[in-house]
Formats: sequence, structure tokens, C-alpha cells
Amino acid sequence: MLEVRNVSKVFEKDGKDFVALQSVNLTIKDGEFMCLVGPSGCGKTTMLKLIDGLVPKTNGTIVLDGKEVNGIPSEMSFVFQDINLLPWRSVQRNVEIGLEVRGVPKAERERRARQALAMVGMEADYRSAPYQLSGGMQQRVGVARAIAVEPKVLLMDEPFGHLDAFTREILQIEILKLWMQLKTTVIFVTHDVDEAILLSQRIALFQAKPGRLVEVVDVDLPQPRWEYDVRAHPRAIELHNYIAARLNAKEAD
Amino acid sequence: MSQAQMDIKSGLAAQRAKRKTQATRDNALRIGAIVAFLLVWYLIAIRTNPILLPTPLAVAESLWQMVVSGQIFGAFLTSFEDLFGGLILAGVLGIGIGILMGRYPTIEKILDPFVAFANATPMVAMVPIVIIWFGIGYPARVFFVLILAVWSILVNTLAGIKNVNRGMMEVGLSFGLSEAQIVRSISMPAAIPYILAGVRVGLGKAIVGMIIGEMDIALAGLGGLAATYGDAFRTNYLLAVVFSATVFGVIFVALLNLVQTKWYPWIAGVAGRQVSE
Ligand SMILES: Nc1ncnc2c1ncn2[C@@H]1O[C@H](COP(=O)(O)OP(=O)(O)OP(=O)(O)O)[C@@H](O)[C@H]1O
Ligand SMILES: [Mg+2]
Repeated sequence: MLEVRNVSKVFEKDGKDFVALQSVNLTIKDGEFMCLVGPSGCGKTTMLKLIDGLVPKTNGTIVLDGKEVNGIPSEMSFVFQDINLLPWRSVQRNVEIGLEVRGVPKAERERRARQALAMVGMEADYRSAPYQLSGGMQQRVGVARAIAVEPKVLLMDEPFGHLDAFTREILQIEILKLWMQLKTTVIFVTHDVDEAILLSQRIALFQAKPGRLVEVVDVDLPQPRWEYDVRAHPRAIELHNYIAARLNAKEAD
Repeated sequence: MSQAQMDIKSGLAAQRAKRKTQATRDNALRIGAIVAFLLVWYLIAIRTNPILLPTPLAVAESLWQMVVSGQIFGAFLTSFEDLFGGLILAGVLGIGIGILMGRYPTIEKILDPFVAFANATPMVAMVPIVIIWFGIGYPARVFFVLILAVWSILVNTLAGIKNVNRGMMEVGLSFGLSEAQIVRSISMPAAIPYILAGVRVGLGKAIVGMIIGEMDIALAGLGGLAATYGDAFRTNYLLAVVFSATVFGVIFVALLNLVQTKWYPWIAGVAGRQVSE
């Protein structure tokens, strides 16, 4: 279980204090798929980076399985919005980076990297250089790199944000299948309400100025979601309208 | 074979042929430019006093004389030792200190004024003090090459380390890389294009340092030969020696290019210069 307790973040921006997140409380169960949704600048990326220890908290605590998290937890891995594969490494060596740090021997590293690449359908391109890949392929490698270390918690920051609708849909289904297979906890940032409804079990709605958590919505739709057209499901439409109204209403006042 | 496959095949052939004609044209241009240069030189030289400007043929002739007598080889070897020693030291110190300054802001703050100062100082004027410190032997010449070449390598390395994309750093941090692992696996490779550029600039300066050291610290190597022939107004020999020194630059640059294409093919892959490719 991952608990975010009363976490705030104040940045210094243009010489002034800027409250990016105000007292966020959020509990994510083991194996849960949770989406963070909200308008641009409401602190979604900051929330993920706080959880992963990439950005220091102003106050509050983050607790994983009863233990307070300090520094950068090795049980979590991050899928970055702009992937940032290392251009001097082959696809496979990029996926190995987390395993290297954890001292996994070379042969084992290669095996696990290939396995992770196979899970995202990239096993054929393991020798390519990153610049030889399309955007969608790079995105898959970014996911493979994160799952190769077998994390307890997978943090994903708009991983499909740059992709076309077609590739996006394919990867959404793949991520769902991967999640069911691996049973990891996933925290997934998106600003696309439909994507959030398709993927998650619960959606955390955020608002800006100051960035804060306003509500957590249950997505009580049947699984597996790839077996029917989620968008046409009456409950999904209801949820969509409710969430859209919630986000817009707050933006108005 | 289907029509589509045939189309692709002929397209590919055209693409390759285009690249080939491009390469041939580039080479023709290069050779043409050299021939034109030699021709102009020749035409001016035959109308000039040979002490002011000998013809290219006279220079080639002198070079051949020095090859036959073996004189040029000894000088070449001495110069190579000066250049190589100084350049290796400059590389190790420049890259090493550049990385330290790039990673540790405190070290950067302390050393930055010194580097800026040294970079702006005309090191060529340091000959007398180098002689006072190191005498007139090999160490003095190597030190002189070092103080000419090291700054551009250092400054470029520093810039490279500081400019590492923030996103890549976050990848390293997120996967739990230690400081040493970040330097080795992220900062260093990311800075390689800058470091290579710094070494290129440093090489040019090192050759200047080599020649001046050999002329002004003690007569030795190619610089020594050039000074001797120059004092004797034997301009044809002087130019032959100068062009021999050019060979160093050409060889080292070719070596750097080879290193870059063989070891760091991603630099060209990521760069946007040949977008049409
Ligand atoms: N390093 C920083 N320094 C100062 N302000 C920052 C910094 N990082 C983020 N912020 C500010 O915090 C706020 C939240 O940023 P964040 O990147 O978390 O937004 P987001 O919800 O991910 O937005 P988007 O959907 O556009 O990605 C923004 O107003 C941003 O300007
Ligand atoms: Mg963001």
C-alpha cells in the first residue's frame, strides 16, 4: 500500500513562493491502477516526482508498505513523458540500466531486458539505436525499461501524450494487459478523461491554483476492458460527463 | 517481383547513385581547390624572389632532400613526443577537472575565475617563465604544449557536463544511479560531442605550442629546424618543415574523426545536419 500523507510542494517561481500542491492525502492499494487527471499545471507531474523522490517534498510523508520513503525508492520506476532514452546505448542496453544499478549479472541482465522488450512487442529491435525508432517504439522501450526492474509501483507520466490516436489505443490495451499480468501498482498521469476511464480503477481529480486533490472517483466498469467498447458503455459515459463537469466547474470559479 | 518491389529497387538504386555522385563531386571539388591553390602559388612564385616565396616544386624538392638525408625523421619524432606528451596531459587534466567542475558547483565556483583568467591569458608569452621553472629540456616543452591546449578542452568539457539534458539526469536518478554511475553512464557520454570539439580546438593550440616551444625554449624538432632554416633565409626548406608540421594536425584530426564515427556513431545519428538522409 502506498500512502501520500498531507504532502505539499512549494516551488520558488520568479522569486515568489508558488504552491504547486497543497496537502494531498491519497492512498493507493497494492495492485491498483490509479489515474491522476487534471488541467495543465495542476501538479500531476510534480505529484509523481514527489512520490519517486525526484523532487523534494516541502512537507508531508510518503509511506510504502508501512515504511516511510526517503530518497529515491528502488521499488518504484518511472516512465517519463519525454522518455529520454540514452542515445549512445542500444535499445537493449537502455532497458538494462536499472538492472545494472541493482548489480544483476550480465547474462541475467540481458535475459530480463529481452523479456521486458518482448512484453511490449519490441524484442526484434533490441539492437537498434534510439534515434532509429519511431515515437511509439521509443515509448514502448520506456515502458520496458521501467518494468525490467520488476517494480512494486509503476509511475507513468502521460506516457502516450505525444502519440497518434491509433498507436495510443494499441498501447493503452497493452498497458492494461501488462498490468493484469504483472499485478503492479500503477499510478498513471493523463489529461485525457477517456483514457483515465478506460485504464483505471480509480481516478484522482486534481485542480490548479493551488494544485490540490479534489475528489477520487471509482471507475466501476467490468474487466477486462479490452473485451468491449468502453467508451460506449453507459456507465463510462456517465463517469465521463461527471468528471468533465467536475473539472470544468472548478475551473469556472 | 511485384511492381512495388521493383519501384523500391530502382528508387534505392537512384538513392545510392545520388549519394555516390555527391561523394564524387565533393572529392572533385576538394582536389580541384588544391590544384588551383598550387597553381596560383606557382604563378606568383615564378615572378617573385625565391627567398620571399619559393615555388611549390622547390618546397617539394627541399622536403625530399630532408627525407633522403633522414634529417626530417628525427625532428618529426621529437615533435611528436612534445605534442603527444602535452596533449595527453591536457586531455587528462582538462577532461578530469572539467568533469569535477561540471558536477560539483562548489568546485566550479572556486576554480571558475582561475579558468577564465587562464583562458584569457596569452600563454605564448609564458616562454621565459616556463624556462625558469622547467629549464630547456623535454619537460619544459611538454608543459608549454599543456598550458596552451588544456583550457579549450577544460572549458568545453565543463560546458558539456553542465548541459546534460535534465530529463536524462532524472532517468539516472530515478533508477537509483550513484554519483559515480551518473558521471560514468550519463554525464560523460552525453558530454562526448563537446569533449571531442574541445580536443579539436586544443589540438590546434597544442601544435602552436609545440612549434613555439621548439623555436623559443630550445631548438628542437620541427620548430627547431624551421627556426634554423628561417634564420638562414632558406625559405624553401622552411616551408617544407612547416608543411611537415601540418601533417600532425591532419593525422590527429583524421584519428579524431575515426574515433567519432567508430565509437560514437550516435552523434551523427542524433545530429540534424544531414536531415535529408
Ligand atoms: N522546478 C520548478 N520550479 C518552479 N515551478 C515549477 C517547477 N516544476 C513545476 N513547477 C510549477 O508547478 C506547477 C505544476 O507543474 P506540473 O509539471 O506538476 O504540472 P502538470 O499537472 O504535470 O501539468 P501538465 O499537464 O501540463 O504536464 C506548474 O505551475 C509549474 O509551473
Ligand atoms: Mg506534467
